[in-house]
Amino acid sequence: MRRLKTMVAGAVAVALLSGCGAGAAAPAASEAATGPAAVAPSGPPSGETLIVYTNSNGEGRGEWLTAKAAEAGFKIEIVGAGGADATNKLIAEKNNPIADVAFGLNNMYFEQVKAAGAIAPFTPAWSAEVDAAKGDPSESKAYWPLVQQAILLGYNTEKFSADEAPKDWTDLWTQDKFKSRYERVTGLGTATAQLVFASILTRYKDETGDLGVSDEGWKQVEAYFKNGTPAVAKTDLFARIAAGDTDMGQMPSSIILEREKSFSVDVATVMPSVGVPLAIEQVALVKGTDKQDEALKFIDWFGSAKTQGEWSQQFNSMPVNKAAVATAKPEVVEFFNTLKQQDIDWTFVQENMGAWVEKIELEYMS
Amino acid sequence: MSTAGGSNGASIRSMLRSPAVLIVGVVLTWFIAAFLVWPNANVLIQTFFPDGSFSGRAAEKLFSSQRAMKSLGNSFLLAVALSITVNVVGIFIVLVTQYFRIRGSKVLFLGYATTFIYGGIVLAAGYKFIYGDKGIVTGFLVGLFPGMDPGWFSGFFAVLAVMTFATTTNHMLFVTNALKGVDYQTIEAARNMGASTWTILRRIVLPMLKPTLFAVTVLSFLTGLGALSAPQVLGGREFQTITPMILTFSNSPTSRDLAALLAVILGVATILMLAVMTRLEKGGTYFSVSKVSSGLQKQQIRNPVANALVHAAAYLLFAVYTLPVVLIVVFSFADGAAIQTGQLLPASLTFDNYIRVLTQPSGLRPFIISIVYSALAALIAVGGLLFVARLLQKYRNWVTSVVEYLLHIPWILPSALLALGLILSYDHPNPLVGGAVLTGTTVILLIAFVTVKIPFTLRMLKASFTSVNSSLEEAANIMGAKTLYVFRRILLPIVLPAAAAITALNFNSMLDDYDTAIFLAHPLYQPLGLVIKANTDGADGVDGVSNTFVYTVLLMVITGVTMYLVYGRAGRKAARAGRAGTGDKGSTTPALIEAAPAESVRVP
Repeated sequence: MRRLKTMVAGAVAVALLSGCGAGAAAPAASEAATGPAAVAPSGPPSGETLIVYTNSNGEGRGEWLTAKAAEAGFKIEIVGAGGADATNKLIAEKNNPIADVAFGLNNMYFEQVKAAGAIAPFTPAWSAEVDAAKGDPSESKAYWPLVQQAILLGYNTEKFSADEAPKDWTDLWTQDKFKSRYERVTGLGTATAQLVFASILTRYKDETGDLGVSDEGWKQVEAYFKNGTPAVAKTDLFARIAAGDTDMGQMPSSIILEREKSFSVDVATVMPSVGVPLAIEQVALVKGTDKQDEALKFIDWFGSAKTQGEWSQQFNSMPVNKAAVATAKPEVVEFFNTLKQQDIDWTFVQENMGAWVEKIELEYMS
Repeated sequence: MSTAGGSNGASIRSMLRSPAVLIVGVVLTWFIAAFLVWPNANVLIQTFFPDGSFSGRAAEKLFSSQRAMKSLGNSFLLAVALSITVNVVGIFIVLVTQYFRIRGSKVLFLGYATTFIYGGIVLAAGYKFIYGDKGIVTGFLVGLFPGMDPGWFSGFFAVLAVMTFATTTNHMLFVTNALKGVDYQTIEAARNMGASTWTILRRIVLPMLKPTLFAVTVLSFLTGLGALSAPQVLGGREFQTITPMILTFSNSPTSRDLAALLAVILGVATILMLAVMTRLEKGGTYFSVSKVSSGLQKQQIRNPVANALVHAAAYLLFAVYTLPVVLIVVFSFADGAAIQTGQLLPASLTFDNYIRVLTQPSGLRPFIISIVYSALAALIAVGGLLFVARLLQKYRNWVTSVVEYLLHIPWILPSALLALGLILSYDHPNPLVGGAVLTGTTVILLIAFVTVKIPFTLRMLKASFTSVNSSLEEAANIMGAKTLYVFRRILLPIVLPAAAAITALNFNSMLDDYDTAIFLAHPLYQPLGLVIKANTDGADGVDGVSNTFVYTVLLMVITGVTMYLVYGRAGRKAARAGRAGTGDKGSTTPALIEAAPAESVRVP
């Protein structure tokens, strides 16, 4: 009987909500955006099972987090999916959400999820410990930053000395010595590839150009594809570098150390004068979850300096949480301290990325 | 009972007279409406009419893209070429293992049967280890002919070759099955009249195999259209196909209309191919009609030169089929770096990969979940469609034609879109399923698995019903047997071997499914495909590649056991029956077939 009552109450609430949504679709969205941000209540975790979606569960991350969370009293079930898959899944399930928390997706992905109304604004306990500029740029913040990753151009030091090496992506196709010596992507489905193009195309922002980019910008893309050697499915860039098939290519900062060891190659990275793009993995609260309090408590624990510090130590990553940096690996921290972040207009990128990917896939890839 | 001359109306009326047909009709109509039409219509409407109005944007973009048009052309080229090459190789391997007297044909069979147990990216990688620029065979050839290009094995030719050898599975199962039904008396009679081996093959044996050949040709066409991993690994710059583009676009909400349009183009082509094959199939009689039919006996190739050539070709093919499997198993013990660089050192082979994969905290659970899901889906699809396939094959009128084409809807859309359609349609209480919400339940993935397997199951079942002698059924009807009785006691035993083979193939193909499961799996019951993906994705380190190989070998073991349980035992039974000297008919019912009235063989 009590259950029935709850269901009726829920149904009424849903009806009311959907009623006001239908009445004024556009204002409803902005209302959600300015609505009060949820905060975790105090008290220990209840131990309810939380469903956590992530694209950051590989290489033992999922198991590690499940075990650590259990020690802290949280029972979590990780559902792993690639960035695009997890995004589509969150959006598709927005009417009847299955997940409670999502993390690991970068701001481009979460911005899509937010636009679809599948995540709710909240404020974590550690909000003061992170640089707010690295998370949701809007007033009401629906996703908060956890880990940062640099997207780099790496080259084989055996083939190029630091002086001979390219100074920027654009050198690859403008200087003959690099032509056919760099690996170019064969699809734009991955976040890393999209960020490389975001880094190149934002330099050619032009309101009168096609999709906000000048002709000169599109010429760069054309040259990138024309002069690179295509990536090979299921063959790692480092394997190809080791075999001498290619000398350089795109790579996220976190994988370099481990791959160098596995393939016995030495790779150095390029620091363009405009800086390098950062991919920032975020965490979000799924809108409409019936375990919101527990989910918020979990986020408070997961993003805390202690957990993020341990995570960084374990997986060579760079935490956004300033209080966690002390526990991260010194060489990683050192690398990020010397690195210059490229100033990218993320709103502009997020608005156009879908169309850019489509245009590149259709017109420039061969 | 024959529909050749009967009008449509009469056929529909006679069809509706049976209560069994009526019940099946109602259930089928509901299923088609709820799970084939409604979800997919939803996803297509949402894709093509995002704001309620149609936009021709997708077509415009696609047709002006050189890359899209070239890739699309390549996919079609591959589909047409594969329809031919798979038939040539497939018929050849069936003949050398089942029809001609070839030394060691049992060993040959095992070699050719390796395609039952693996496929996809690992298979393509296996071929690359052998023929790729650092491959074993290439190294040998370059030693012989120093001027040779080490990158010879790439492009259209390489993709076609690999896919041809990889997709003869359907021939091995279904054409073999059909061949066992060929009447040996006719062959002997023809030989007595002086017909050559070749004439007998061309005029008697192959015509009897036509329904099955038509069905497997449609499948080869479809495989070619949907080619993904072989072109990615071996296609090189000049031979890329359309599927990777469909996958990228279906993952991007703003480009999903392009993916859907491309998928619809491929789907329509498949349906056209299906229509052509259905038309060719119509009007023929594809069963033995001699008074006393008897089991096939193996034929000696009488020309010694031809005999030697056929033996040589059979063993060469055996090597082509088995080498990649052997290398995949060996490489599954090597570390990821060795796999990707293709450099194998005996010292680097360890059990580490297997220990890492099998001692994960999730352990065997995903394997069990996948086995349960796949087994249930395979059984439901085949069990549910057995009677339906029979009805569609028996009654040919506009109603059954519409039903048949509707049942092929899952061939039109990629599985990611099918899954999205199910979520869109059943994430709220829906009267079509009694007001239930299906998302977040364990049922929705099962529904998707069953749906995805319907077209293949239906095609193959229908083909096997077509080769059943209709006079058996007529005789039973005359003696007063009811529809269901006839179905259960006469038809079912005859098509059971084919049905078992289809079940096994369905089961195998769903074990490592990712595209459907990623959207529909219950978070607490995640199948193997998701675990494999998490452990093998390119971005996930060197171990990822070796994990791929380990999972492939583990899946080979599961699928190998399945095929043995379903096929190996049936084969042994048939062999025993053959040795005992009873008119060997495999698992068909010899007594009933012998009772069939004599009639001259009519082939289209």
